[in-house]
Amino acid sequence: MIARITPPAWTRWVLPGIAAAILLGYPLVFGTVYTNIFIHFAIFAVFAASLNMLVSYTGLLSFGHALFFGGGAYATALALENIPGMGLFPAIFTGGLAGAAFALIVSPLLNRVRDTAFALLTLALGQLAYMACIKLRDITHGEDGVGGFPIPDLSIPGVVSVSMVPAQNFYYLAIVILGICLLLMWFLTKTPFGSIMIGIRDNPQRVDFLGFNIPLTKCLIFTLSGFFAGIAGSVYALFNNLVTPDGVFHIMTSFTPIMMVYVGGIGTFAGPIAGSGLMTIIEEIATRYTTQLVLFNGILLVLVVMFFRTGFVGLYLLLKQKLFEKESSR
Amino acid sequence: MTGILETRDLCHDFNGLKVLTHIQFSVQPGERHAIIGPNGAGKTTFFNLVTGVYTPASGRILFKDVDVTKAKPYRLTRMGLGRSFQITSIFQRQTPFQNIRLAILSKNRIRFNLFVRVDRMNAINEQTNEILQEIQLADEAHLPTSTLSYGKQRSLDLGMALATAPDLLLFDEPTAGMSRDESHSAVELIRKLTEGKTMVIVEHDMDVVFSLADRITVLHRGEILATGTPYEIQENDAVKKAYLGESEV
Ligand SMILES: Nc1ncnc2c1ncn2[C@@H]1O[C@H](COP(=O)(O)OP(=O)(O)OP(=O)(O)O)[C@@H](O)[C@H]1O
Ligand SMILES: [Mg+2]
Repeated sequence: MIARITPPAWTRWVLPGIAAAILLGYPLVFGTVYTNIFIHFAIFAVFAASLNMLVSYTGLLSFGHALFFGGGAYATALALENIPGMGLFPAIFTGGLAGAAFALIVSPLLNRVRDTAFALLTLALGQLAYMACIKLRDITHGEDGVGGFPIPDLSIPGVVSVSMVPAQNFYYLAIVILGICLLLMWFLTKTPFGSIMIGIRDNPQRVDFLGFNIPLTKCLIFTLSGFFAGIAGSVYALFNNLVTPDGVFHIMTSFTPIMMVYVGGIGTFAGPIAGSGLMTIIEEIATRYTTQLVLFNGILLVLVVMFFRTGFVGLYLLLKQKLFEKESSR
Repeated sequence: MTGILETRDLCHDFNGLKVLTHIQFSVQPGERHAIIGPNGAGKTTFFNLVTGVYTPASGRILFKDVDVTKAKPYRLTRMGLGRSFQITSIFQRQTPFQNIRLAILSKNRIRFNLFVRVDRMNAINEQTNEILQEIQLADEAHLPTSTLSYGKQRSLDLGMALATAPDLLLFDEPTAGMSRDESHSAVELIRKLTEGKTMVIVEHDMDVVFSLADRITVLHRGEILATGTPYEIQENDAVKKAYLGESEV
């Protein structure tokens, strides 16, 4: 065994410190447009990570995750529209709860199927939500969506009250909320419950025989995934001050996080975050200079599926390994 | 006197194909029972019924005097049933340590803990290492399971069944597909690990059966041909006839 020199404890905080400084300074340096792009990235990073809980950690491919994202977005929008004096954090929490509630309601159905049938069932449920959202005019205002609802200030009574309308202010709220979501989801993968999830992905029969109640476990996984997707949807609603069926329940809303998971790297926690970053950048470039965003996304997906199955994170790890091997062979 | 495991008139068929008929089976606490029988006799199906993979077409199953005819595998495991599989059933993509740790979590009834890092749960990790020592996988504990030899993977399968500390162990051909050497050390391992425990083992190798079991049940075309001590079985005419008949074909 080679003796390892352990660096002093404070060095562990260097990287997170730099990251925090960049995040703090970002809106000051880059201005409103890039601040908004970053918020968009962060929302979809959380949305994709919530899907990744199912795809990478439980081995279930959902084609209907918009159901929970849209559920959260509409819950927040409707709560703010209809409940006078609704606070900011209660509104966001309502979004998360709505996503969780939708997931809990459909989980008995989802528990009955696996693999392709699971993918198709989630697709159907997502489409059902889209149609229901258009048809339930009285509540959702149909295709017009819910817009122009009041955005509450971030206020601690008697201490501060900050308007969330300026992009920079909203940026700090969004990255804190979304950052906490990512941290919680990451932590979850390290807990005993996370081990059970991975077990279900790899060999459900054995997990059953070890004494774990798989339907009940999955029920909780769906609910948690729905909660985080709901929070992402909620922040989306606040960010755009508008939610429409096409914006949050459309099938493309379900496909986007799937692409992010695959492009970023399936089977890893960082994958969907990297995927969201990459696709946000591509979207910006493609829509700025061309009208062919879908084409670019299509080509990207083809490239990933054909040549980089492990996605961006896989590519990064491969390069790192190559460089490391060179070093050690010297 | 009722046993730890009892089946009453257990019957099962697959879409009309009768696989088990009127099985009356009983295991007493402390017994080491072997089930033998030619390929397709219904041995694995019997295990699948008893462990809740299938619900029997008719008949009843009692485990520790509780009717478990319709119980799911996870319930039976919690009640103290452990099983290994004829076709190795482990977590290939994870390390042996992670494999066993999942079993240890279950044994400690940790099923919905979302608040602690599992690698910081010292008691769990200690218990995991103890089991890895017992099944002689301590050296390979942190290698990917898929890189282990077949024999080691079989040991891991056994270890998973043992790690939940069951009161009754069901082993389905634990030496299946092993080389002679591997098989020999697997038998020694089983002997050591199951000392004083109640066990039902399905096995083809007669040497293994006679060295491990104190009672034998012969299953033939879905029926119990005979049950008795190894000596009684060796001397049983029906068994002799069935086995001789088989080998003539
Ligand atoms: N799921 C199933 N569907 C249909 N037929 C099955 C199924 N499982 C087993 N069988 C059939 O039931 C009979 C008994 O199979 P089983 O696997 O229980 O035999 P076994 O005694 O374990 O044999 P082996 O020694 O080969 O493991 C066989 O004829 C088999 O083809
Ligand atoms: Mg069998």
